[in-house]
Amino acid sequence: MSTAMPAQISLADVDVSFGSKTVLSGLNFEVFKGEVISIVGASGCGKTTSLRLLAGLLAPSGGSVSFEGKPVRGPRRETAIVFQDYGKALLPWRTAEGNVSLALEVMGVPGPERRSRISELLALTGLAGHHDKYPAQMSGGMQQRLQIARALAQDPAVLLMDEPFGALDAMTRQSLQDELLDLSARTGVTIYFVTHDLEEAIYLSDRIIGLLPNPGRIGRIFDVPLPRPRDQLITKEDRSFLALRHELYDFVKGSEH
Amino acid sequence: MIRFTQIASFALSLLVALALIGLWHFVASARLVPPIFLPLPEKTFDALVTGMQNGVLLDASLATLRRMFFGWFLACLAGISLGALVGSSQKLRIYVAPMLETLRPLPASSLIPLFIAVIGLSEGMILGVIAFGALWPLLLATTHGIVSVEPLLIEVAQALAMPKHKVLWKISLPSAMPDILAAMRLSLTVSLILAVVCEMLTGSEGLGQWLLATSRAFASTKMFAGIVVLGLMGYASSLIMNLVEARALKWKSAAN
Ligand SMILES: Nc1ncnc2c1ncn2[C@@H]1O[C@H](COP(=O)(O)OP(=O)(O)OP(=O)(O)O)[C@@H](O)[C@H]1O
Ligand SMILES: [Mg+2]
Repeated sequence: MSTAMPAQISLADVDVSFGSKTVLSGLNFEVFKGEVISIVGASGCGKTTSLRLLAGLLAPSGGSVSFEGKPVRGPRRETAIVFQDYGKALLPWRTAEGNVSLALEVMGVPGPERRSRISELLALTGLAGHHDKYPAQMSGGMQQRLQIARALAQDPAVLLMDEPFGALDAMTRQSLQDELLDLSARTGVTIYFVTHDLEEAIYLSDRIIGLLPNPGRIGRIFDVPLPRPRDQLITKEDRSFLALRHELYDFVKGSEH
Repeated sequence: MIRFTQIASFALSLLVALALIGLWHFVASARLVPPIFLPLPEKTFDALVTGMQNGVLLDASLATLRRMFFGWFLACLAGISLGALVGSSQKLRIYVAPMLETLRPLPASSLIPLFIAVIGLSEGMILGVIAFGALWPLLLATTHGIVSVEPLLIEVAQALAMPKHKVLWKISLPSAMPDILAAMRLSLTVSLILAVVCEMLTGSEGLGQWLLATSRAFASTKMFAGIVVLGLMGYASSLIMNLVEARALKWKSAAN
C-alpha cells in the first residue's frame, strides 16, 4: 500500500482495559482502503477486542480510533461485522432472505428494492435458490455465506471478520477464502480479518499484524509480497509464502513464552 | 408420512374419547353413581342439543366465550407490553421485581371483592379480573424471553446501529416468541377458568352461572351439558393455539 494515500482507519496510541486489566496497549496502525489486513496472535491476546474497537462496539480507554479522519463514536453502517459464531449470529426465526433483509430494513431500503438486493446478494454468496431456508436447515458453510451476505447488504466500506472460517472444514474454508478474495478484488471493500490460521492470513492478506500478548500489543507488521490473483496451490508453493509462514510461525511461537 | 402419523394420532385420541364416554355410560347405567350426580351421556347430549336449540345454553356459552377471549386479549396486551418494558430495562427490573413477585401468587379470585368495591359489578370488572389473573404468565414469560436473548444477536443489532425500539421489535420479541406462545396457551386456560368463576360469583349470564343454577336445581343433565361445552371450549382453544404455534414457530420444526 502506498503511504501517500490517507488511511481509512487509524488507531493512535489506543489502550483498552477492562477494570484493572489492560487488554490492549499502545496500538498504532493504519488500515488503507481496499486492503486485506489480517491479525494473528496467541489466544486471548486481544484480536477480537481490536475488531470490536474498529467496529465501534467498544470505546478505547485511551488514544483514538478514527474512520476516514473522524473519531469513531459507535457502530456505523460503513463497517459490517462477520462473527465467528455463525450459528448464533443469524436470526433462527428468519429465512436466508429474512436474515439479509434485516440489514436492509434497518437501512430503510424500500420493499421492492429490498427483494432485488436480496436476490443479488444471495446469488453473490452462492446461496441462490436457498432463499426460503432457515439457518438450521443450512450447513456451516452456507450459514457463514449467509452472514457474509447480510454484512454485504450494509454496502460496507470495511468488512470486519472474526475467525469467520475457523469452524469450517478445509474444503469449504478454501472455497470461501477464494470467494472472499474475489469479492475484495471486485468491490474494493477493505477487509480486517482475525484468524488463528497463519496460512490463511498469508493467503488472504496484503499485510499481517502480529499481536503479542499480556498486554496485547503490536509485535510486528508483516508485508505479504505475493502477487494477486492468488491460487490455493501456486500461491502456497511460492517461496515467499513459505518463508513468511516460517517467520510468522516463529513469531507466534516466540510470543507464547 | 407426517400426514399418516397425524391421522393416526387423531384417530387414537378419538378412540380414547370414545372409550371415556363408554366408561361414563357404563358407570352411569350401572348406577355406580346416582343419576342426580352423574346422568347418562346420551341424556346429557340431549340436554346439550336442547340448550343449544332453545338458545339458553348457547347464549351462556357465547357469553363465557366472549369474556374468556376479551379478558385473554387484554391480558396478552398488558402482559406482553409490560413484559417487554420490564425485560428491556434492567433498572425497571430491579425496582419492580419484588412487587411483581408479591402480586403474582395472589389468586385473581381473591381480588374480586376489591374489584367489586372499586369498579362495581360491571362487565368491565369481570374482564379486569380475567385480564389481571391471566397476565402473569405472559408478563413473566415475556420478561424472561427478552432477558435471555442470545447476546450475540444484540451485538449484531448494535453493529447495524439499530435503534432500541427496533431491537425489541425485530430481535428480542421474536426471540422470546416460543416463551410467549407457551404463556398465551396457559393464559387462555386461566381466562376460561376465571370467566367461569366470575360468572359464578357475580351471577352474570354465562356458563359459570349456568353450572351454579343447574346444580342448585339438581338438573344434572343440564349441568353436565354445560361441563361438556366447557371441555369443548378448552379443547378448541388448545387446537387453535396448536395451529398458531405451528405457524409462528415454523422455523423450529424446519430444522428436522
Ligand atoms: N468485556 C470484557 N470484559 C473483561 N475482559 C474481557 C472482555 N472482553 C475481552 N476480555 C479479555 O480480554 C482478553 C482478550 O480477549 P479477546 O477476545 O480480544 O482475545 P482473542 O485474541 O480474540 O482470543 P481468541 O483467539 O481466543 O479469540 C482476554 O483475556 C479476555 O478475557
Ligand atoms: Mg477472539
